[in-house]
Amino acid sequence: METIVSGGVAEELRETIIAMGRELDLLRTEARHANLLIAALDSVLAVDRGEDPFAGVFTAVSSIFEYSHALALVEKDGDHGVLECVSSSHNDLVGSSWKVDQHLGKVLSGRVLTTISAADSGGWPAEAAGIITSSQPALYLPLRVRERRGLLMLMRTMDRGGFDRGHVSLARKFSLLASHAFAASRANQTEAESHRLKRLTERLEASQEELTYRANHDQLTGLANRSHIEEKVNDRIDALLPGEKLALAFFDVDHFKQVNDFYGHGVGDALLKGVAERLRGEVRGSDLIGRISGDEFVMAFAPIHEQSEIVSLIERVRARLAQPFEIDGTTLQASATIGVSIHPDHGPDYETLRRNADMAMYQAKSTNKGGVGHFDEALGKVASEKMQLERRLRAAIDNRQFTYALQPKVDIQKARIIGFEALARWIDDNGVVQPPARFLQAAHELGLLDAITHTIIETLAEDLSRLDASFGADVRYSLNITAQQAGKPNFMSDLVRRIDLLGCSRRIVLELTEETFVSAGLFQSRVLPQLREAGIGVSIDDFGTGFSCLSILADITADELKVDRSLITSIHLRPRSQSILRAIVSLSGALGMDVVAEGIETEEERAYLLDSTSIRFGQGYLFSRPRFVDDLVAAGPLTIAVTPRAIPRVFTPGPPGKVDFAI
Amino acid sequence: MVNLRTLAARAPDTAGALAELARQVEAGVSPGFVCVFYDADHDDRQIAAFLKQHFPRAAIIGGTSCAGVMTDAGLGGPGSIGMLVVDDPDGNYGSAATQLVGSAADCAERALRAALIDADCEGELPELIWIYQAPGKEEEVIAGLRRVVGERCPIVGGSSADNKVEGRWRQFGPDGALADGLVIGVLFPSGGIGFAFQGGYEPAGPTGVVTQVGYNTAGDSGVVTQSSGREILAIDGQPAAEVYNRWIGGSLGGRLAGGGNILTDTTMFPLGIDAGQVEDVTHFLLIHPERILGNGGLSTFAAIEVGTRVYSMHGDRSRLVERAGKVATAAAASLPGGAANLAGSLIVYCAGCMLAVGDEMPKVADAVNRSLGASPFLGCFTFGEQGFMLDRNAHGNLMISAVAFGR
Repeated sequence: METIVSGGVAEELRETIIAMGRELDLLRTEARHANLLIAALDSVLAVDRGEDPFAGVFTAVSSIFEYSHALALVEKDGDHGVLECVSSSHNDLVGSSWKVDQHLGKVLSGRVLTTISAADSGGWPAEAAGIITSSQPALYLPLRVRERRGLLMLMRTMDRGGFDRGHVSLARKFSLLASHAFAASRANQTEAESHRLKRLTERLEASQEELTYRANHDQLTGLANRSHIEEKVNDRIDALLPGEKLALAFFDVDHFKQVNDFYGHGVGDALLKGVAERLRGEVRGSDLIGRISGDEFVMAFAPIHEQSEIVSLIERVRARLAQPFEIDGTTLQASATIGVSIHPDHGPDYETLRRNADMAMYQAKSTNKGGVGHFDEALGKVASEKMQLERRLRAAIDNRQFTYALQPKVDIQKARIIGFEALARWIDDNGVVQPPARFLQAAHELGLLDAITHTIIETLAEDLSRLDASFGADVRYSLNITAQQAGKPNFMSDLVRRIDLLGCSRRIVLELTEETFVSAGLFQSRVLPQLREAGIGVSIDDFGTGFSCLSILADITADELKVDRSLITSIHLRPRSQSILRAIVSLSGALGMDVVAEGIETEEERAYLLDSTSIRFGQGYLFSRPRFVDDLVAAGPLTIAVTPRAIPRVFTPGPPGKVDFAI
Repeated sequence: MVNLRTLAARAPDTAGALAELARQVEAGVSPGFVCVFYDADHDDRQIAAFLKQHFPRAAIIGGTSCAGVMTDAGLGGPGSIGMLVVDDPDGNYGSAATQLVGSAADCAERALRAALIDADCEGELPELIWIYQAPGKEEEVIAGLRRVVGERCPIVGGSSADNKVEGRWRQFGPDGALADGLVIGVLFPSGGIGFAFQGGYEPAGPTGVVTQVGYNTAGDSGVVTQSSGREILAIDGQPAAEVYNRWIGGSLGGRLAGGGNILTDTTMFPLGIDAGQVEDVTHFLLIHPERILGNGGLSTFAAIEVGTRVYSMHGDRSRLVERAGKVATAAAASLPGGAANLAGSLIVYCAGCMLAVGDEMPKVADAVNRSLGASPFLGCFTFGEQGFMLDRNAHGNLMISAVAFGR
């Protein structure tokens, strides 16, 4: 789903993602710890009488603690000031005696501790010399062995990092359970002790299973979560036989946000559960299914031998989802747009397949919501180009390659420039000027438009004194703002503040499309008053396209209305357009708005506007194409050549017989 | 079992505030650890005498806090003194203090080892290291501690603050106050520790790469390095102050030429550096531009390296008000056993944020209180914050750090 986020929303999203990530990490860590504990306990319990119980323990904990040497020390009978090594990963240390120093004393009293630096090795036996030293990182775990106090001592080599808080935390759990296990594994253990330990192990196993389940599954639907479905699909890919394929289908529930907004999150959640249930009902034994984010699901079908197989499978799922959902007495007609990619044709692993299926879904959504899109090479090429464009756009922002060209707004009667419209341009690495059509849509989708807008306004403010020297300080400069930008109060407030700080509020006009006023309620109530207060002008752009609702004009306090070129083109030949234009001009006049005719390209159009309407301002190639500031300023004082009825293009030498005058 | 209590009092004279605190001291309790924060206008010696009298066996750490403290009783305000008293018979706590003379890294390493000895835990890795220091050498201090513990345990704390950035900040250790020092506490609590370190700002859009920093001498050696420092001279090859001013909408305008202090103007617009990602989401460590330099550079309250990408960040009042509560919640949630195991907390809140929040500061204390379920907490207001972020101990500005104690 396309998401445009404002500062506050971004913060919330970040926190949610991080909190979920942390919770998942925690669950996985606990699940791993539980596994380790069970393995270690098993190793203690499985030991036959007479065997060394520590050998299995050392093995069980080695993968987590990554030690180089392990020792088990136990109090000597009758001498609690000395510990005896009863087991070690190094045989030469078995039987050695260890004087209880400060560290060992603390551990015997129940504390887990790890060292940070060389400690006093005065109590270490001679046997330790040449095998381990007290400067090696060490982790000590208290252990009660058959009613005697003891400890495990795990050492790392000097080149490995020391043990950290995570190790200490795990060691605490292990120490407690291992002591229980040793108590129960005594040769003369009672039935009751054996039973108690069995229950303990069962509880641990159950808890481990529950933790593993929670770490791997979505809590709402019970489906595999994002990381787990990735693991499962990759495993499934590894298990495919030669000639077998896997199809990955990406489902995006259509209009889910509207369901949530309109019916509430309770209904939204119920819908997701319903979708999950139906998808689950359509999988074969060997297929996989997961929920990877709010309204996105993936299904992996395998094995697949022919493309036609996946077409019929997907069609079946789609038909199933198309049936109405009954939720709390409400009938919801839901659908999902689906994208499909195939292994190995479209990617070697889950992540590549998911990305490509997502792309196919996105493509399908733009043309046929509720339809199915299949990834193919052409789409791959588009995607690759899009990725390259993204990289270039991001670099272009970093390198300040975005600038603007100015197209004048002209008093078509007096041939005087009254303002300029700033139009975004991208000068790429090769110095080629890229038009907005090349980058605006992508910049919008990537959320880069705001940064481009900021760059343009800042550059314009820097250029203002140069421009004023050529065109005077009463000329105003227009900037285009998309409806999406205008619908973000935070962005707009920030923009107003920036313009204000640049000291040019009264020189700036923001050009907004009708859509802004129709769809963005917040704009009218929150943003417009800010613009008014700052003295920033408001212009309704492209009027005559989009909604073109005259009644909207009555509700808008704008300074200017720009009639779209589609109405102006050949206006002198189109009576119906002439009637519409008269209505627009009349209403605008009544509301105190200036009217600017866009796209004036011929002398005939200009003549009609002058003779038959009260429109006095225009913009178009007849007067000038957009030009960069350096070109404009270098051209010096501007001239517009006019005849009594004809105004040739600005900035080009006028043909003989026409009158030139300075602006 | 760990038991925490807060003591708080407010009075223009130190004797009056201490008299009130004395009434709140619980008889018969001999805490192992006491944190004390206070308005810089108070008298250090009287506070030291009070602590010696009432908590003779406790490891002491603390110092001055901008315009007082906050506790679970609310915002203390100017003239306030707050204490967090930790009674934990099964835990170990130690503290040590040092003047920051010569290499700050060496000083920090020595003080850490002294604090461990004080805790009777020589050679052991603590659960958490708490630091409070004079502003200016935080990165070196962390580097010194890192030599001993790596990133194996969190280093949390703040840079001591006064009320008007006049250099009247002090650090309070086992032997009283220092003016240009470092105090270190090592904590081995029996109930476990949780912690969190976050900022309350979002990227605003503009970004650039630091291409030149001011000269730095490496410790006593006098060796000049140009790769890291607290003076950003150029971003993307252009004068740093000019670029920064453009990013924040030109609000520094006239001062670009004249230079000078810009602390209050830039509180809502710090610089951010990428501290790493969690689930593809970037975390930012914040750096507060402090002054425009005569050479067109920016001086900051944290060091930065050449080649680092800096981001223009943006905050607002409401976020800064709520953020402290969120950080406290995150710290409590990370305790062993979760927030249900919470005994109390320490909060470090940037004084810059406090000044920006202004008269809404009581809401910050309320937000923390709500998050912690009215369990005891003590909060100080600092000129720099330290904490553990994405597996790394770091120093930042305009940040909030929280430590939660488990029962």
